[in-house]
Amino acid sequence: MLVFLRRRIISGALPLLAVVLGVFFLARLTGDPANLYLPLSATPEMRAEFAARNGFDQPVAVQFLDYLSQIVRLDFGESLRTAQPAAQAVLQAFPATLQLAGATMAIAVTAAVVVGSLAAYRPNSLADRFAGLLSSASASVPDFWFAIMGVLVFAVTLNWLPTSGTDGMGAWVLPIATLLIRPFGVLVQVVRGSMVSALSAPYTRVARSKGADEKRVIFVHALRNAAAPALTVAGDLAVGLVNGAVVVETIFGWPGIGKLMIDSILQRDFAVLQAAVLLTAVTIFALNILIDACYALLDARVRQGVAT
Amino acid sequence: MPVPPPSRDARRRPVRIAGALAAAGVLLAGSACTVANSGNGDAADTIRIVLPEEPPTLEPCDASLTATGRVTRSNITEALTERVPDTGELEPALATDWERTSDTTWTFTLRDGVTFHDGTAFDAEAAAFSIDRTVDSDIGCNVDGYVFGDGELTAEATGATTLEVTTAEPDPILPLRLSFVEVVPTSTSAEEKVREPVGTGPYRVGTWEQGTSLTLERYDGYWGEAPAYATARYVWRSEGSIRAAMVSQGEADIAVGLAPEDGAGDFAVEFPNNETSYMRMDATQEPLDDLRVRQAVNHAIDKEGLVSSVFAGLGEPAGQVVPEGVTGHNPDIGAWPHDPERAAALVEEARADGVAVDTTITIIGRNGIYPRASEAMEVVQSSLIEAGLDVEIQMLDVNAWLEYLLRPFPADAGPTLLQAQHGNQAGDAAFTMEQIYGSEGAQSSYGTRTLDELTQAAERAQGEERQEAFADALAHQNDEVVRDAVLAHMTGIMAVATNVSYTPNSATNDELRLREMQRND
Repeated sequence: MLVFLRRRIISGALPLLAVVLGVFFLARLTGDPANLYLPLSATPEMRAEFAARNGFDQPVAVQFLDYLSQIVRLDFGESLRTAQPAAQAVLQAFPATLQLAGATMAIAVTAAVVVGSLAAYRPNSLADRFAGLLSSASASVPDFWFAIMGVLVFAVTLNWLPTSGTDGMGAWVLPIATLLIRPFGVLVQVVRGSMVSALSAPYTRVARSKGADEKRVIFVHALRNAAAPALTVAGDLAVGLVNGAVVVETIFGWPGIGKLMIDSILQRDFAVLQAAVLLTAVTIFALNILIDACYALLDARVRQGVAT
Repeated sequence: MPVPPPSRDARRRPVRIAGALAAAGVLLAGSACTVANSGNGDAADTIRIVLPEEPPTLEPCDASLTATGRVTRSNITEALTERVPDTGELEPALATDWERTSDTTWTFTLRDGVTFHDGTAFDAEAAAFSIDRTVDSDIGCNVDGYVFGDGELTAEATGATTLEVTTAEPDPILPLRLSFVEVVPTSTSAEEKVREPVGTGPYRVGTWEQGTSLTLERYDGYWGEAPAYATARYVWRSEGSIRAAMVSQGEADIAVGLAPEDGAGDFAVEFPNNETSYMRMDATQEPLDDLRVRQAVNHAIDKEGLVSSVFAGLGEPAGQVVPEGVTGHNPDIGAWPHDPERAAALVEEARADGVAVDTTITIIGRNGIYPRASEAMEVVQSSLIEAGLDVEIQMLDVNAWLEYLLRPFPADAGPTLLQAQHGNQAGDAAFTMEQIYGSEGAQSSYGTRTLDELTQAAERAQGEERQEAFADALAHQNDEVVRDAVLAHMTGIMAVATNVSYTPNSATNDELRLREMQRND
């Protein structure tokens, strides 16, 4: 297992460096932040002073080397906008996103396993068709529309939930519901598909012939073998959520990292943007290792492939 | 190699994974409460305001930035003078009186008995320090660039309550400029910007939960009349329809920066927001270098139609970028009459004289500069095509658009019509003319020597003479130069809950005075 992890870490470090490089240079192609931070009437001297104060007067290569030497010392620079350390802004926003993503994925996986398994148990039954309809509807609804409609119906018309914000548990309902629809819709289909083949596989018949009860057959024997494809897709979806649920965070005023990233792109707040992208890249990298480790636990063949 | 059968141990693994997932879920749900429990404690004594964005900082010397200024100005900190938005007159704030003691010197008498939130007394030293910090420090204050530009000045405390400010060049509107310099105590850092300033205003900074909310608390030692609400709580949502819904659902009392389609309904309050929309013509490029073509552009656009249909009636067709209430506004300049035949005739006349009127003119638009910005540009495009010009549209985001707005302009852009909007929050045409119409102005693509001279003469004048001189310069621009096609003085929308009484004015977008908000019981 350790060998396995070590290999994955080494092969993941290179993409990380590429991310650092890419974000740094791409951000600087988007224009001069002085235009946004100085009044429109600012004189050329003020512009020069602004550039010098923030190090933008140096050649980009020099700026990059400075940046690299800073991040090695875990110094991520200062936000142009708020004059605070970029790391602070990012670390403050990230937990809000992680909580939202974690809660969403936990609900999505649980619901998809139950609904998908039941649908697969009796293919083409009423329950199966209903699950199919539900999942294709939810996989294709635009989240922006869903969020605004959710506010209109549940907050404005019915007055059951707050429109937005983070005050109280009620505030979690609409953001999670909005985030949930796509992962749930996709996962139900995946679970159903792999469960259909698992339930007709020889080992399931063997389990049944030994007299195992149906619940055990479905949720232990079949599900374990059907879990790998679902895990792959769930991992992918989780990565998407960790990257920041931009639409949801923007609409509901959720102080997460997706909103922070978009704002720092619009505001050319390079230090915050770089720190945010780096942190999410590291998280996604860690998440991928975790998913690989889960594969290894689920499937002996993966473990063995590594050991030999 | 055959795969060995799973051991008993391995068989239990899925159960363990499920257990771990469940544990992680519980942990996450637990930590969720830390975000959820940010609590609001909103009582009747709190005014709740929802803004489009979180203030980046509350730094007083950046108060000319809208996001900062509308929380800081006149609420947390105050200036020596205060401009009455509708009349443009200056009123005493931390200074009770001021007079011009020489061409380059103004002397201010300061208010006695004023204290900062930290208990220290306000005096001339603090005022001088604040002016120095804003204008002369290395922290790059936005107010410095916005109000003072190149101008140098020195402030000196000549007594406990007397302050002398000297400028290098005569400055007849120095007291107006100083209405932008928010006063902070001498203990404030002059080496770096502050996020939570100490001031003399009616409110002090309470708690700022970054990303979530900001609370201001009433300052009991305030020198003026105590404001109605003990606490002001700001939150921010970038979606306009959510801000409007928060007021209609009773989650907020005031929502700013709304568009007609945000659905504020009965809570919507309309007000002239001090912004004027216009199209800047690049008169250095053919065919826009021909006066007749520029006149044709003005005649071709139906401003009345634009305001009534695209802007949903929110605005007033205009012929100058300086609105009423700003020194220099010329009441005789009206919107150019919509006359498509005249426009087509002018274009034909230019064509007959060999002007390349078929050259493609590019409209450089900016998404979201005002509500329905791209629809407005489509209207302009179709009117100009009807007049016989060849026009295409390019809509950009803010920073890309700024490259066209500000000097140095992009080379090889060809003839452009820039979608722009100007707000003169300072209240004097000096803050418009040079940067918008000067030959070297930061936002000016074209000027003339005569207009420059008229502007400079107006800048030196004072009082009634100043008003007339700027009005003349604007008339000259409109009659002889015709650098712009001005569209409309714009109208803003905010939502105000029924339990609050507040009347917005032309400065509301930049400065949201809490002490003007009253309970409506």
